[in-house]
Amino acid sequence: MKVSLVWSSPKPERTIAVAMRRCFSTKTIEEIEAELEQKGVEYWRYLLTKALQDKSLDVLEHFTLSLLAEGMTDADVGRLIRGFPYMRATGLGGGSWLVSLNARTLVELWREPEGKPFAAAIVSELDGRQVCPVFNQLAFGDRTNAG
Amino acid sequence: MRVKLLYNTDFEALKRVFSEKGAAFDPSALLDHVVYMFEIEDCSRVTTHQLVRHRAASYDQESQRFSAATREGVVTPPSIQTNEAAYKAYDEALKVVYAAYEKMVAAGVPKEDARYVLPSAIKTKLVMTVSARSLMHVVWQRTALQAQWEIRDLVNAMLNLAREATPELWGKVIER
Repeated sequence: MKVSLVWSSPKPERTIAVAMRRCFSTKTIEEIEAELEQKGVEYWRYLLTKALQDKSLDVLEHFTLSLLAEGMTDADVGRLIRGFPYMRATGLGGGSWLVSLNARTLVELWREPEGKPFAAAIVSELDGRQVCPVFNQLAFGDRTNAG
Repeated sequence: MRVKLLYNTDFEALKRVFSEKGAAFDPSALLDHVVYMFEIEDCSRVTTHQLVRHRAASYDQESQRFSAATREGVVTPPSIQTNEAAYKAYDEALKVVYAAYEKMVAAGVPKEDARYVLPSAIKTKLVMTVSARSLMHVVWQRTALQAQWEIRDLVNAMLNLAREATPELWGKVIER
């Protein structure tokens, strides 16, 4: 199985932080974004840590990803979609699939044995491209054995 | 009311994958893959109650548990705004409600409890992330003539932003 990133939400950790601040702030979106830029990545890390600790995973749904998955059979994909219905897959032929999911589903995949290998391949791809280093560190911890 | 598109999936990047893999492409194949994240500001809680019934989307909304309500932050429907007697009754009711809210908060009642008295007219802010397929369903239902004016305005604004960002998707599919 090979997974390549096609697209992800811009500044994923900040996007999650925007959703979190939206719940607790009366500010406009521009003011929230300016506050998040000014406070920087350590503040985003603080908010993300809180979301994960409180199990407020809904905010992760605003970080979305599209991937090219290769070397997967119809049965492989069927099993994943049945277990994780918020993930979307479109067959491109020859064992290739366009797959889209959000970060909440990625966390849920990671936590279930049947989803873990696919999640690990995605996390490894995100690591390689430095898409969301803070999120990966907080959500998936030590990934030396992630496969 | 204000609606802003915070981001959308790069339609062209997804389309390229089809050509790289030699797969036949139809824009409708991307309905589940393209998502939009919107910021919605200063619509009423009446309208967000209607909006969040569309469950296949992700919402995070300003919480009244933590933010204080103000008398200025309400939506007045045109049917009330343009009717002098109705507006007088509306305004009087809001004054009574907000005075009660402020008294309760001053007396030490937590905002999360004092808010029980607040009107559905109160303005709110939220972010919404939704796939093109789900948004299309919302558009079909909430831009219909039977839909209420405020959600119709909101969803039309979302539709315009989505169509501008990903014209190929909406141009081909919305006509069905």
